Amino acid sequence: MHYPWWHVPYLTGPMLIAIVAVLHMFVAHYAVGGGMFLAVETTFAYRRNRRDYLEYLHNHAWFFILITVVYGAITGVGIWLTIGLASPLATEALIHIFIFGWAMEYVTFFLEIASAFAFFYYWGRLAPKTHQAMAWIYAVSAWLSLFFITGITAFMLNPGGWESNRTFSVGFFNPQLVPQVLARTGGALLLSAQYVYLHATFRATDPELRYLVQRRSTLPGLVGAAMVALGGILWYAYLPESSRAVLVGTGVLNVLMTVIFVVTAVVFVMLYLGPYRNPGWLSPGFAILFLLAGFTAIGAGEFVREAVRKPYIVYNVVLGNQIYADEVPILQRNGFLEGGTWTRAYIAARYPGVMEGRRIVEERLLDLPEPEQRHVGEVLFQYHCNNCHAVTHGVSGASQLLRGWTPEMVRAVSREPDRFHFFMPPWSGTPAEAEVLARFLIPIAEPFPRSLKHAEGRE
Amino acid sequence: MPLPISPRDLIGPMSPLGIPAPYPILACFKGLGFVTHMWFMHLWYAGLILAVVAYAFGGEHHRRWGARLAKQMPVIIAVGVNFGILALLFLQVAYYRAFYPATILMAWPWFSVFFGLTLAYYGVYLYELGIRHGTLTTLRRIIGWAAAAVFLVEGFLFANALSLMTNIGGWPSLWLNTSVAAAPLGTGLNTADPTLWPRWLMMFGLAVLTTSAYIVADTAFFAHDETDDYRRWAGGFALKVATAGVLCFAAFGSWYVFGTWSREVRAVMFGSPHVFLTALTAVSVGLPWLLILLGRRRLTGALAWAVVAAQVGVLTINALSRQIVQNLELAPFINLADEPVRMQWGATIMFLVLLVLGFVVLGWIIAKVVAVNRQAAHLGPEA
Repeated sequence: MHYPWWHVPYLTGPMLIAIVAVLHMFVAHYAVGGGMFLAVETTFAYRRNRRDYLEYLHNHAWFFILITVVYGAITGVGIWLTIGLASPLATEALIHIFIFGWAMEYVTFFLEIASAFAFFYYWGRLAPKTHQAMAWIYAVSAWLSLFFITGITAFMLNPGGWESNRTFSVGFFNPQLVPQVLARTGGALLLSAQYVYLHATFRATDPELRYLVQRRSTLPGLVGAAMVALGGILWYAYLPESSRAVLVGTGVLNVLMTVIFVVTAVVFVMLYLGPYRNPGWLSPGFAILFLLAGFTAIGAGEFVREAVRKPYIVYNVVLGNQIYADEVPILQRNGFLEGGTWTRAYIAARYPGVMEGRRIVEERLLDLPEPEQRHVGEVLFQYHCNNCHAVTHGVSGASQLLRGWTPEMVRAVSREPDRFHFFMPPWSGTPAEAEVLARFLIPIAEPFPRSLKHAEGRE
Repeated sequence: MPLPISPRDLIGPMSPLGIPAPYPILACFKGLGFVTHMWFMHLWYAGLILAVVAYAFGGEHHRRWGARLAKQMPVIIAVGVNFGILALLFLQVAYYRAFYPATILMAWPWFSVFFGLTLAYYGVYLYELGIRHGTLTTLRRIIGWAAAAVFLVEGFLFANALSLMTNIGGWPSLWLNTSVAAAPLGTGLNTADPTLWPRWLMMFGLAVLTTSAYIVADTAFFAHDETDDYRRWAGGFALKVATAGVLCFAAFGSWYVFGTWSREVRAVMFGSPHVFLTALTAVSVGLPWLLILLGRRRLTGALAWAVVAAQVGVLTINALSRQIVQNLELAPFINLADEPVRMQWGATIMFLVLLVLGFVVLGWIIAKVVAVNRQAAHLGPEA
């Protein structure tokens, strides 16, 4: 671990990333799909000379800018700030591999901002063809932005041949690129339709106009749902073996995957029976429910996307506990505390007796007084385990997960966590360090629940 | 009794992946992003609070000006944030070993930046809509003040993060005082660093000066619908604002340079050849001020271009000086020249091609918008 580990009580730092990312995704997809909607529909309205529809689209563009340019853009910055804090090594690796990918995304994002403002603030002042061109510049830029970002996030799940050929293009054009671009483009179309319904039910007061808005935005929504399904199937097909195993073998992910499929199917049916066949049905309540369904599917999807990479943040490159996969054998040989910049400095300052020159002699940790061993164990827990586990209460709290475990079980899981659950990282320290970690964990493990009939005799 | 921790021991190893382009290229893009970001950021950092004060307490023309800036603020923020991303990207590539630990030590304040920015941005919209539609209620006024205050705090947090990045000597105590089992709680701030306050306030002075350049540019290029009386007033007002900015910059800049620079930094920055750059950084702020002084009675387009160019020059020289000082402060801990370079030629070329295409499209967008504005100016306010 090259960096200090940020301790976020109860929640854990990576969970903070997940929250910010999900909140961003609710709008980021709309920023792409909504841009396509505005481009297609503005062109349609000009061609048909539908002044009332243009007026509605003008109103929608204001709603769109308030949501995407402010909330969407700033939460995007929020992701940058959060990943640097909670996953510094993974961010370091990604930014060194893909800086020019992000720089390209930045160019497209800048065009998005410029064209969006020109499109909205110069509405009625630009010539119709120029005005339509602004909308199309936005739509194309926004989709390119999605493409560049997805290439990088897809790499995190399946880097393909990058390990043997470490070039930008091999990393970017990875096996997950097409499936995820397909799914995200579909998600963008589907979610934008849901935003449009929500806006239209409140702002398009004329029934005929509302009918038109709903009819026009439903087909892209249906196509989007189909793309999400196709992209999802391909996504599954190109998952690494361990990711499929996580998906199949983890209860919470089973539930979330079911939620995604059921919600997507329900949304598809609702789209078909509602806005497509019976546009009059769409009421504000229906539209809100619809959008919440979209949020549910996207939120669950993002959570699954994060979870299936475990124990990696960048698959086979950077582990969740912020060490390079290549470092594991070295740390197992020389010690986790020794290999961590901040842990080594801390131990050297606090326990000079365990040092030999600048090297930590791990065996000497076991000679420390018991409370000090527990403290060192807590240091190990923070840096090796806290990325997934809160200490006592909160996200996957260690005390709760170890409830009723015998000391030997705790020692065993400390020595070989990946043997207990393959989605946990390998122990990246010496056996002496594993013992010290166990000595921290054993006292904090909650006792076996007494209410169970077979609890008698258990500690 | 724990032994003292050497700050040198807190610097992690170099990335095995290498940097994707030679350092000067990364520094150029970082500098480009920073200079362009500063221009717009200054307008929300110092400009917004001036606009809110002018609108609340000023005369007719002050109120007109305050309203003008407030109405443009949403676009200014969007563009400024965007330019900031470029600087942030390249900062992380080149300075990752200092940037990540520094921000982790102050994780919660740093994390709160985007939250505050979102609130302030929506606050600006509410305030601006109140002015635009004549519905500036007491609540919206308060929101405007709050947004301006949040932006000042955001500036303070950025000054904290970027000063802590080079104040590596301050890391051990900050870390040990705000951590649990060696893991930082992220509640630290770099307030013990003597460079923090003058840097934050010096930047405010520079931001006030940028605001004066904006007043000239806005009046010359965009205030076609304003009266001649307003345009004459704007010249005098810009001069007052510029004078305040120069004085503020001079006072806090002197504090920063003479009161906080280490002996090593002073030796380099006051030695040949850097002394010329140091002197230029100090006196450069005089050029936009002088131009405004000379042209204040008639703010023409030519004058506005000259003032904008001069202020961009001031910001560039400042960024260059700051970059050199930053590297000097980091030099005892990190040698940027040692980073192995794994040049990504294909990706670099793709980026540069896209950048050129982006500039072409952006140029086209701006040309169309300017043409519409010119047409409106030609037809007059009635149009």
